[in-house]
Amino acid sequence: MKGVVSGLLKRRAELGPPDAVLVALAVGLLGFGIVIVYSASTIEGVGLKHPDPQFFLKRQTVYAVLALAVMAVASSFDYQKLRPLTYAILGVACAGLVAVLVVGVVAGGAKRWINLGPVNIQPSEVAKLALVLWLGHSLAKKGDLVKTFKLGMLPHLIMAGILIMLCMKQPDFGGAVVLALLTFILLFVAGARFELLVVTGVVASAVGLALVRSRDYRWERILAWLDMNEHRQDLAYQPFQSVMSFGSGNFGGVGLGDGYQVLYLPEAHTDFVSAIVGEELGFVGVLGLGLTYLVIVARGVRTALRAEDDYGAYVAFGISTLFGIQSLFNLAVAMALLPTKGLTLPFVSYGGSSLLASAAAMGVLLNISRSRFAVNNKRVDEGPAPEASATLVTEADFAPEGPDGGTR
Amino acid sequence: MSAEDEEGRSKRVGIRARMYVVFGLVALGFGMVLSSAWDVMVRDGEGWRELAERQRQRRLRIVPKRGTIYDRNGLALAVSVEVPSVSLDSYDLLRTVPAPQIPVVARDAANRIAAVLELDPADVERKILSKRRFSWLKRQISAEEAARLRELASRKVMGDRRVRGLVVEGEGRRYYPRRTVAGPLLGFVAPDGEGKDGIELSLDHDLKGHVEQLRGLRDRSGRLLFADGMHDDQALAGHDIHLTIDQGIQHTAERELANVATTFEAAGGSVIALDPNTGEILAMASWPGYNPNDYRSSEINERRDRGLSDLFEPGSTMKIFTIAAGLSGGAITPAQKLYCEKGFMPVDNVTIRDTHPSEWLSISQVLAFSSNICAAKIGLALGGNRLYDSLRRFGFGQTTGVPLPGEATGMLRPRSRPWVQVETAAASFGQGISVSNLQLALATAALANGGELMEPAIIKRVSSATGETLRTSVPKVRRRVVPKRVARAVVEMMIGVTEGEGTGVEAAINGYQVAGKTATAQKTDPKTGRYSLDKYIASFVGFVPARKPRVVISVMIDEPMLEHAGGAVAAPLFRRLAKKILEYQGLMPRSAKRADLAALARTADPAHAVYEAMRQAEGRRPAVQDTVSPAPVGAGRVRVPDLTGWPLREAVRRLSDLGLSAKIDGTGLLSLQTPAPGSVVTKGETLTLFFEPAT
Repeated sequence: MKGVVSGLLKRRAELGPPDAVLVALAVGLLGFGIVIVYSASTIEGVGLKHPDPQFFLKRQTVYAVLALAVMAVASSFDYQKLRPLTYAILGVACAGLVAVLVVGVVAGGAKRWINLGPVNIQPSEVAKLALVLWLGHSLAKKGDLVKTFKLGMLPHLIMAGILIMLCMKQPDFGGAVVLALLTFILLFVAGARFELLVVTGVVASAVGLALVRSRDYRWERILAWLDMNEHRQDLAYQPFQSVMSFGSGNFGGVGLGDGYQVLYLPEAHTDFVSAIVGEELGFVGVLGLGLTYLVIVARGVRTALRAEDDYGAYVAFGISTLFGIQSLFNLAVAMALLPTKGLTLPFVSYGGSSLLASAAAMGVLLNISRSRFAVNNKRVDEGPAPEASATLVTEADFAPEGPDGGTR
Repeated sequence: MSAEDEEGRSKRVGIRARMYVVFGLVALGFGMVLSSAWDVMVRDGEGWRELAERQRQRRLRIVPKRGTIYDRNGLALAVSVEVPSVSLDSYDLLRTVPAPQIPVVARDAANRIAAVLELDPADVERKILSKRRFSWLKRQISAEEAARLRELASRKVMGDRRVRGLVVEGEGRRYYPRRTVAGPLLGFVAPDGEGKDGIELSLDHDLKGHVEQLRGLRDRSGRLLFADGMHDDQALAGHDIHLTIDQGIQHTAERELANVATTFEAAGGSVIALDPNTGEILAMASWPGYNPNDYRSSEINERRDRGLSDLFEPGSTMKIFTIAAGLSGGAITPAQKLYCEKGFMPVDNVTIRDTHPSEWLSISQVLAFSSNICAAKIGLALGGNRLYDSLRRFGFGQTTGVPLPGEATGMLRPRSRPWVQVETAAASFGQGISVSNLQLALATAALANGGELMEPAIIKRVSSATGETLRTSVPKVRRRVVPKRVARAVVEMMIGVTEGEGTGVEAAINGYQVAGKTATAQKTDPKTGRYSLDKYIASFVGFVPARKPRVVISVMIDEPMLEHAGGAVAAPLFRRLAKKILEYQGLMPRSAKRADLAALARTADPAHAVYEAMRQAEGRRPAVQDTVSPAPVGAGRVRVPDLTGWPLREAVRRLSDLGLSAKIDGTGLLSLQTPAPGSVVTKGETLTLFFEPAT
């Protein structure tokens, strides 16, 4: 362990600064999230067993501080050191997903949280990052083999399929869709054969549809979403109220803290926080929020394009896509363009797991975004062989301590 | 550059290209979401904003407490009390119920509610399934039913089987503490809060107050969070109505009317008592009456205010107005004598008869003996048109303007054309025309007060719930009908009716002069269109004291059976009622010996003397110091007066006049003061006063 820390410190000097735009946007979103969560959660806080309008504000602030710390740590060491931990992280995520099915806390009809005393953690948030790290590692390793179905695609589909099935068991349909999309997008980017992707995509969609139809409540929710007006008092209450929140905002919004929809919109501070942004800050606020995420994705893709190797590129791209998909879907759900899924808005929605997982992902992205000319030069001098041995050494060095490093 | 590098580069290029494609798709997605946001928020925002506004506003319908109806002395005749009523929020009832279970839950709840309220379960079930936010289940339920309903809705008692959405709230129910008194006059109030008859109907708007819509904010479960302030601070209660009716007189009138009506087995009757100087109606009794507390068990003809809405042929009472018309029109003079044709006078094809055939009669005697022939002669001398105009001026054939529903107009010209000679003759003694008892009373009042027709007043004052007077009735003269001298002359003649051989001697009251006129009018048989031989209307109209009248009383008894003469049936009622009113109003009879107030003032308090005598008889020394000669107090000192029973303001004022100050405790009337009354204190000292509300 001492070696790791000293290694981190030693390496640091050789790293360039992370992408300043990404840092600014991530930190800005965290701060903005605290403000808007406070506005959205006071009513909920007053309704608690021990009424406290600032309950969620206090917790979100603590989470945000922790998130900054996580982000700083995750961006500070050579991300290559994460690569040997890939399977450990994946294992932890899988274990978490299994554990949640066994000992999970039921809330809102789903087992998504593991109760750890003062905090509940949501393993599916960890699973998203774990999958991206693993896909990056695996796709970079496979190289051209990606083009084959048996060796290139199938292992990824199976691994992702396991995570997806675990998510569906909770049930966390939104998480499952995000995992599936991430897998397909990364396979597509890595060069998997398009026709195979289309075929598997169609098969996966069919399976997904069958799963939706197999559970009455899910199907009813879809039907209610399709005919929202009819179901505005029951199944489509939440999306209907959410759209009403957006509609109440007009161009400039009713003003921060002056919104009324928090009275009616369930989960206003978590999954539907964007609706409160819409009401209180108006179209301007929503536009700003959307553009912020788009810029984060853009800077993330830029990082991927500039990454020193395929692993970094895939991971950076996967993380950017994760932010992109997650925020896009969250906004689309809040505007009732998509049925309700249960996806948080990264960095803004209330919730420790979401915040810390997003921060960790952002940390890794920032890590990759650091310029490494010095390191690169060195590596070119040293040649490929030492690099491989170094990897082995590092692997041997880190492997036993994997689980420690993997938990957050 | 090796081939491998080349391949690697092309691979890189492919990856880059695909990354751009994916980023492009994500950007496209954001574009779609943001354009949809523009649509929802800006383009179509108006509709959503309205919807949101409607959702968060909860309108509270506050039905104000209905105002009280008081008599002229402040006695409550109609009050509103709160009675629980139960309504259903069926949306709330089914809110937590999953869709497939709704029919089962609805039926179960319906059965349980119906069992408590004794309603039809199918009906309740229909209301539950309607998913409406408000529907009445049952109004004005008993306290026991309310308690059982609360149990049904209580989580503590019922647990998960509790019925949600039941709302028990107080609703005003009208209560008439004096039961049948003034029933037809007051009317009643239907369960929906609408006044249905009498004062309750005609002043419904005032009594009801404004139903205020309060705007409030509600949360997800419909709870009210906060409400805007009231816009109208008088909104929460209707106005109070103070009638000119005197409950005591009304009660007496009703009792006497009921006595007469039952004694003579009459079909109906009405009595009106009013103040001729102001036009204020003191009593308006109608028989048969009903109890508005239980209006459902009454019949519609019992609820009719007969003095107002029943028309009848007045008969001989009309002669006083004919004579007044003749006098003011110059057709006759007060000293004139008329030849009464010995009881038979043909006019065109009919013969007019008198019950007391006479030859020459003075005008006074015409009235006293109630000669139809001479009345007809006066009418004919005056001419049809002038008689008609005079009677119109007395207010016949037109509504009086009393603010009560169901007033009948009456009819002077049955065919809306000038009278022919026979009709003029008949109208002169009150046949062929119809009047209401109220018209008769008001016309008589016009003679009593010196010739002015007053506007009838039934509402003395309308005050807001906070006691502020909103409207007061002022005596209003509608018009001068006859000159004062004519009115005086007719009054003198009317006095003759109740004296000597007059038809109205039964109305005479010892010690007072009574002016009046009887009437015994045959009723028209609706079957034959001719005058019936056994159906009469007996009436008497008069006032007392004759020369300075305090009250005009008009009595009408419909179809008295055992006796039908107005002098025998209606006049005694007038006497008894008038006597009560005079006593009640403290008007001494002429002959009564008045107490010498000056002498009384000089003697020591007789009660005090008796008290002292009793004490001495019991062998005790006088406990009370002689208050007649209190010990002198020194300069700068005062004796504390006994202020018990005074209201706060007055007590403090009196103390400050004496140079004392006060410490106040409580409200109402002074019940205890320290130091005790009679003790001597220094000026400027503070007394402690304890007040208690007057009971």
